[in-house]
This record gives sequence, C-alpha cells and structure tokens, in this order.
Amino acid sequence: MENPLHPFELHTIVPLSLFGLDVSINKAVIMMFLVVGLVTLLLTKARSSGSLIPTKLQSVAELLVEFIRGMIHETMGPDGMRFFPLIATLFLFILFCNLLGLMPGAYTVTSQLVVTGAFALGVYMLSLLVGFKIHGVKFLGILVPSGTPGWLLPLMVPIEIISQLARPVSLSVRLFANMTAGHVILGVLFGLSISGGLLIGWLPFSFTVALYGLEVGIAFIQAYIFTILTCVYMGDAFHLH
Amino acid sequence: MPSSPDPLFAGLGQAVRIGTNLLATLMVGGGLGWSIDSYVLPTEPWGLVAGLVLGVIAGIRNAYRTAQRWDHS
Repeated sequence: MENPLHPFELHTIVPLSLFGLDVSINKAVIMMFLVVGLVTLLLTKARSSGSLIPTKLQSVAELLVEFIRGMIHETMGPDGMRFFPLIATLFLFILFCNLLGLMPGAYTVTSQLVVTGAFALGVYMLSLLVGFKIHGVKFLGILVPSGTPGWLLPLMVPIEIISQLARPVSLSVRLFANMTAGHVILGVLFGLSISGGLLIGWLPFSFTVALYGLEVGIAFIQAYIFTILTCVYMGDAFHLH
Repeated sequence: MPSSPDPLFAGLGQAVRIGTNLLATLMVGGGLGWSIDSYVLPTEPWGLVAGLVLGVIAGIRNAYRTAQRWDHS
C-alpha cells in the first residue's frame, strides 16, 4: 500500500533563488498561482456583464459579497467594512485552496502548517496593530477582563496572555490539521480498496465516496471558520470589552 | 460567536472551535513555562507545571466564554 503521507511531500520543480533566498517553484506554489488565477478570472467574469438582471455567475458573486458583508457587520460593525477586501480575499483563497486540493492529483496548499501559520500570524498581528492604533496603550486593557477584583489580577493576566497567544496557534493548527487528517483518511481508505480487490474492496471504496462528500463540506466550513474568527479578533480590537 | 445565515453552518462552526482552542492554550501555556525554565529562570520544572496549569485554566475559561455567548446569538 502507498504511504498515505506521500501526497504531502514537496519537490522542487523549477529551482529559483532571489537575493540568496530559496524561492523555488514546487507543486504548492503552482497550486497557489492556479487558485489566484481562477478566483480572479471567475470574479472578473461575474462582474463584466454588470446587467441589472444578474447572470448565474453574477448572482453567485452577489451572494458571496452579501455573506461576507453579513459576517463583518455582525462582528465588527459598519466600521469593519474597511477590511472587506482583506476578509474577502482570505475567504476566497482558503476556500479555493481547500476545494481545488480535493481534486485527484492536486496539492492541498492549506495542508502545510507554514501557509496557515503565516495567514494566522499575519491576521493576528494586524488585529494587534489595529487595536493599538485605535486605543493606544489602553489596548493592553484587553488583558484584564472587565469586573476582575484586584487580588485576582496576578492570576488573570497570565491566563489572558496565554489565551491571547493561543489565538494564532489554534487558528493555524485547526485549518492545517483538518485538511491533513481528511486527506490522510481518504488516502488510507482508497489504498485499502485497491489492495482489497473486487471481493472486499467495494466496502472501503464506498466509505471513500461518502467521506469525499464530507470533505467538501469541511472545505467550506474551515474556510468559513478561519474568516469568521479573523472577524472576531478584529472586532475585539475595535471594541474593547 | 455571531449567528450565520445558515444555522447548520453556524452550529458546526461553533462546535469545531472549542476543541482546538483547548489544545492550543495547553500548547502555548506549556511552551511558555518550558521556555521560562530553560532560558530565563532556574526554576525547572516548576515553570512548566505552572504554565500547563495556567494553560488548562485558560482553555476551559475560553470554552466557557464561547458557550456563554450562544444564548445571546
């Protein structure tokens, strides 16, 4: 049976070096280019008709905009619309990475902790910057939950520091672990159905089909969770307590 | 956590959040305690112990806070 972790290995396709940095192109980079190209193509096509009666693609794009705007309004309020481009880009990129990664032979970019970690750290740093810009030094008050008696402070502040630092960790690990685990399970089950032959192989194969449907759902849910948590963290930076 | 237009989506979203959060606070707490032990103070192993305990408290507290918000949404 094939090693189920084999699809996660990356091999350099075009070796490149920029200012001494290794920027070689591998399968993951190609997948990212593909995702960006596909999203740009779909959205420009959806917007090109611009008719009052929307085409099919245009109504999907309008639904998407309404969905993301709803998320932002509920978590950040109307002020948060400044970050609409960022949130929409994050959502679309992660969603398409998850979905395209499910194609046989494709590479799931979000199954690399480097990618999800970079996203989570970037988003978290941005929320800290926004918070300090709006509230100044008072933003440190986020470490003191409202209504804490003074004698509890030496205990509460370390706890709050830990739960703040855990935010980017849980954000990145959740997406990475969900995608990796799903693909490993699919690989193992499919490998079983091949080595099982016709006699018993249909059983794991039917599980593969069912799990594939579940994985498509998980691709949507994980992209949604990543973006809504981004919104929640940004909202915390906007509104102290 | 705010409610999404689709109740199934929102429910699943809330359910998936708590598990990883427990793990992440434990990892961060233990990691902080361990690095204090090894690089800052000669308190081995009590920094790690205290960090893990604080991590557990933080994780449970976060789960509790997430659950509290469900009634209002």
